[in-house]
Amino acid sequence: MSGMSLHKKLEENAGLLIFGILFVSAIGGLVQVLPAILQDSLNTASANARVYNAVELTGRDIYIREGCSVCHSQQVRPLIAEVERYGPYSQAGEFVYDRPFLWGSKRTGPDLHRIGGKYSDDWHRIHLIDPRSVVPRSIMPGYPWLAERDVKTSDIQAKLRALQLLGHPYEQADIDAAPGQLEGMKEIDALIVYLQMLGSFHAEDSADGHSENQSGAH
Amino acid sequence: MADLPSGFWSGWIVVVTIASLLTLAWLVLSVYFSADASDAHASEHEPVWDEDLREGNSAPPLWWFWLLFGAMIFSVIYLMLYPGLGAFRGMLGWSQHGRLDGSYAEFDQQFEAARTTIVTSSLGDLQGDAELMATAERLFNRNCSACHGEDGGGQANLFPNLMDAEWQWGATPEQIEQSIRMGRNATMPAWLAPLTEQGVEQVAAYVQTLGTAQATTHPGQVQYSQFCAACHGVDGSGNPMLGAPSLSDDNWLYGDSLDAIRLSIAQGRNGHMPAFNEQLDDAQIKLLVALLTRQ
Repeated sequence: MSGMSLHKKLEENAGLLIFGILFVSAIGGLVQVLPAILQDSLNTASANARVYNAVELTGRDIYIREGCSVCHSQQVRPLIAEVERYGPYSQAGEFVYDRPFLWGSKRTGPDLHRIGGKYSDDWHRIHLIDPRSVVPRSIMPGYPWLAERDVKTSDIQAKLRALQLLGHPYEQADIDAAPGQLEGMKEIDALIVYLQMLGSFHAEDSADGHSENQSGAH
Repeated sequence: MADLPSGFWSGWIVVVTIASLLTLAWLVLSVYFSADASDAHASEHEPVWDEDLREGNSAPPLWWFWLLFGAMIFSVIYLMLYPGLGAFRGMLGWSQHGRLDGSYAEFDQQFEAARTTIVTSSLGDLQGDAELMATAERLFNRNCSACHGEDGGGQANLFPNLMDAEWQWGATPEQIEQSIRMGRNATMPAWLAPLTEQGVEQVAAYVQTLGTAQATTHPGQVQYSQFCAACHGVDGSGNPMLGAPSLSDDNWLYGDSLDAIRLSIAQGRNGHMPAFNEQLDDAQIKLLVALLTRQ
């Protein structure tokens, strides 16, 4: 069978043509995406990864709601300039409890994957309310309402149960205690808790054994 | 770093990739070089346009062929040299973390001499070197200015002024280095409950008079000696070991208004300086100490 006759057959048979197009379009995904989804080593939690607690999860949802990921990525690439600036590069095992992951695709502001512990809680509070009061040349908008709004406690149990269904190891006790943990918190408090834990899933002694060069301290 | 695909999925990637390449090669070659391309118009059922224009009666341009051929050759060479075919690491042994290690080796080699010089120099020598001080200022800008301000003058009535003579945690180079390396956690408790509102009022007023002649006769003195003097000293001179600031001078970290002082006493203060041990190396820390102790 030659190329021309196959061509003719495909062109004269709509069903076969549709199947052919779908099949050819799928090849990239079959090679790149499917193994990444099903390969265990990409989905194994890093040694320090754990599920987000109720407060962190709430802060994370506020991070998503306010569109932080539009300007801030959460992926430090394995390049010296990034490791020096931000800290150890991001690894797959740190994201297993991220649904959805917040890698982002654009850095109008700096990467935030290693932001935890870099500034004090007080600084984050002032900076979120009015960024230019501490960083005069910042172009980040202020988020003053976060300091006024109470966190929503009504849906946290449903969120945790949904994640539990997806295989995140929450205990019933975690779910029972969740609304209580959020009691009396403002949205800014939860967001700061989330920001301060970013980067803590990184495991120094991960499989590649290159932790020495990732600390940024040289 | 997650490893390369292994086991079944490695084989899967290899098979699908190679099969796709081969199919593509066959497809391209057959379109250009198949024997029946020329007699395709033999079929009576082929549609004909514009008198003699039919499917396949003119070959696609040859440069398309070279483009596709070149792309395929490139793919084959790439897959032989770099990781791409499942678990095969490629003949160059390239990896992302390998590249990073290489960058660091180069980086360390380039700056090792400079670092050694900085670490072994005296602070005075460093302060006399304009170029190094410019580097120190850049370091300050990148790591410290977000809290302490671009001029180091402190900000927001929360982050201390580093340009004045008062150092909450001590002014010696060793103490400043310790502050940078390990961070600092101030723990002033909230005094509203033990003092009551009236007590807070009195102590706040008393504290404002510290360092002046009225201090000795002020009614707030009794409670001050009872609750505050242990950390801030009987005369309010502070204690750098505890990070307790001097209350007898005109420097007020959290603001000099009576309201601000009242708030500090009633609610306490928990200033937190993060540790920079992980982010900065010895030479960088020393440069910052030199910058901050410069007269």
